[in-house]
Amino acid sequence: MTRRALSFLWLLATVACGGGGGGAATEGLTVAMMPKNKGNPYFASCRQGAEEAAKELGVKLLWDGPTETDAAKQNEVVEAWITRGVNVIAVSVENREGLSTVLRKARGRGIKVLTFDADALPDAREFFVNQATPRGIAETLLDHTSRLLGGAGEFAIVTASLTAANQNEWIKEMRALLESKHTGLKLADIRPSDDDRKRAFDETQALLKAYPNVRVVMAIASPAVPGAAEAVKQSGRSDVKVTGLGLPNDAKPYLKDGVLDSVVLWNTQDLGYLTLHAAAALGRGTLQPGATSFEAGRLKTLRVEGDNILLGTPFTFTKDNVDRFDF
Amino acid sequence: MAERRALGPTAPLLGLLALELVAFGVFGHNFLTLANGFEIVRASVEVGLLALALTAVIATGGIDLSVGSLLGLCAVVFGWLAREAGLAVPLAAALAVATGTLGGLLNGWLVTALRLPPLIVTLGTYSLYRGLAEAATGGVANYTGFSDAFLGLGQGTFLGGVPAQLPVLAAAGLFFWLLVQRSVVGRGLEAIGYAPEAARHAGVPVGARLRLVYVLSGACAGVAALVYVARLGQAKADAGTGFELLAITAVVLGGTSIFGGRASVAGTLAGLFVLALLQNGLRLADQPAELAGILTGMLLLLALALSRERKAS
Repeated sequence: MTRRALSFLWLLATVACGGGGGGAATEGLTVAMMPKNKGNPYFASCRQGAEEAAKELGVKLLWDGPTETDAAKQNEVVEAWITRGVNVIAVSVENREGLSTVLRKARGRGIKVLTFDADALPDAREFFVNQATPRGIAETLLDHTSRLLGGAGEFAIVTASLTAANQNEWIKEMRALLESKHTGLKLADIRPSDDDRKRAFDETQALLKAYPNVRVVMAIASPAVPGAAEAVKQSGRSDVKVTGLGLPNDAKPYLKDGVLDSVVLWNTQDLGYLTLHAAAALGRGTLQPGATSFEAGRLKTLRVEGDNILLGTPFTFTKDNVDRFDF
Repeated sequence: MAERRALGPTAPLLGLLALELVAFGVFGHNFLTLANGFEIVRASVEVGLLALALTAVIATGGIDLSVGSLLGLCAVVFGWLAREAGLAVPLAAALAVATGTLGGLLNGWLVTALRLPPLIVTLGTYSLYRGLAEAATGGVANYTGFSDAFLGLGQGTFLGGVPAQLPVLAAAGLFFWLLVQRSVVGRGLEAIGYAPEAARHAGVPVGARLRLVYVLSGACAGVAALVYVARLGQAKADAGTGFELLAITAVVLGGTSIFGGRASVAGTLAGLFVLALLQNGLRLADQPAELAGILTGMLLLLALALSRERKAS
């Protein structure tokens, strides 16, 4: 009885409002963009950039996703976007394999798909907006080190863990650059921090004692940056500087102290801006597979390597610009 | 008793469903399409299985807060067996459901043998089962790479668009409807919820019935875990977080009394779809998903207030 009532209601409503969908095609381009986690300031700042670009290009931007990291929610949101009918979907992927199935389905329905920040399986999207290549990160970090050392001297690295895949790739690229470009620099030691601030603090203290000639500590994991900076600060060694890769909020107090010279990351706002530009171009057919460069508004011409659109050289946070960022 | 047993979804609930259909039909994009209907069903099956089993539990005046955590534990057990230990998928699946059943048995045993309040027991196992899942995987292990045949259970369709997991929900719905509303056992469950001592004196095997509903609840969590893993293609310790509260909300919206004694399986399904339509409809109307939480809370309070009003008048 009740089932019949329910299916009747559904039928009634379907008939009453039938054929009302499919508005997206006539209203101009609709781009749906999903972060891993809406509550994370990192992505909030991506969103600012995306909205800036959406306004610039006259594109309708839908921004939605889990309020905390939740792979299941990501699938549900993409499913809803497929049903709703959007032109382009851009996602930062939490669960590579699981979400790729849904993204493939979206492509099957003629929706253009791209990923940003964290990639899906290559056949599930057309392009990946890559915020930083290992080469680019290594180059920028060594440029800062070389500047601090005046072109010659010893430095040491505090990494995440000795097996961390990302960090090891950066280190590999740095070793190559030490052979070719920065021949005056000497890497004294690499210490693990296990992504722990306290551990980074202890390791940096030990480093300073073991290698008195080290003048730059390069901390390449987010919690390692404040840990290393605190250790150098407490040692009173004003001849030692810290640089590294991490989040601006962790770095802020130490940048202002002067212990920390700079931290490298990418400009998350630009990442959102570029992603929306790429999404719009993909939706309008002006960005095609095989492209080697891409015009992205105020970011000018950016390189495309294979199916990766490169945001370009990493962004450096210093005491002068760090207050503009909050993540 | 006769009127009570014929209980279906309440009029206010059906009104809400109709309101949602009309509102989202107007404001949502492609909301009223068959494909979207199927998509809503696909996303509702896991919580639906938990809610159906909870209807029987709540009919006895009990509660099971551990089902979401147990889903997570079963998912991890299945993922580990199928991907790490290399067991055949059917065997791993059977063992995952067995894990859920055991989890339910433990709840039932604590409730009946130790006479502990179900709220306290399952609050404990809520932490225990999630904790076990997290401890077993360090919170990081994520099992993926399941066979296409298995993933088809969660992602596939048949007859041109019907989600593969719909028969699972339909079968469970029929089973619980027969059990709760059309059998002597079900009459016993409601009697226990209405007045446990009286039920005992009337010859209802109270302990056995209570163990049964908690075991069924655990087994359903196991089956829901399989559907979940097949739908998302991953098994991680955080699977099913918060599902218990959604399931309880669906049951209560559906008109089952939280104090026991009165249960409606069809009402639970209607409550489930009220929640699912809300989530889905808001997205298709380009509204942020956070609104769903606010509206769910308001709907629940409204539905309860209306049904109280009706009873009073």
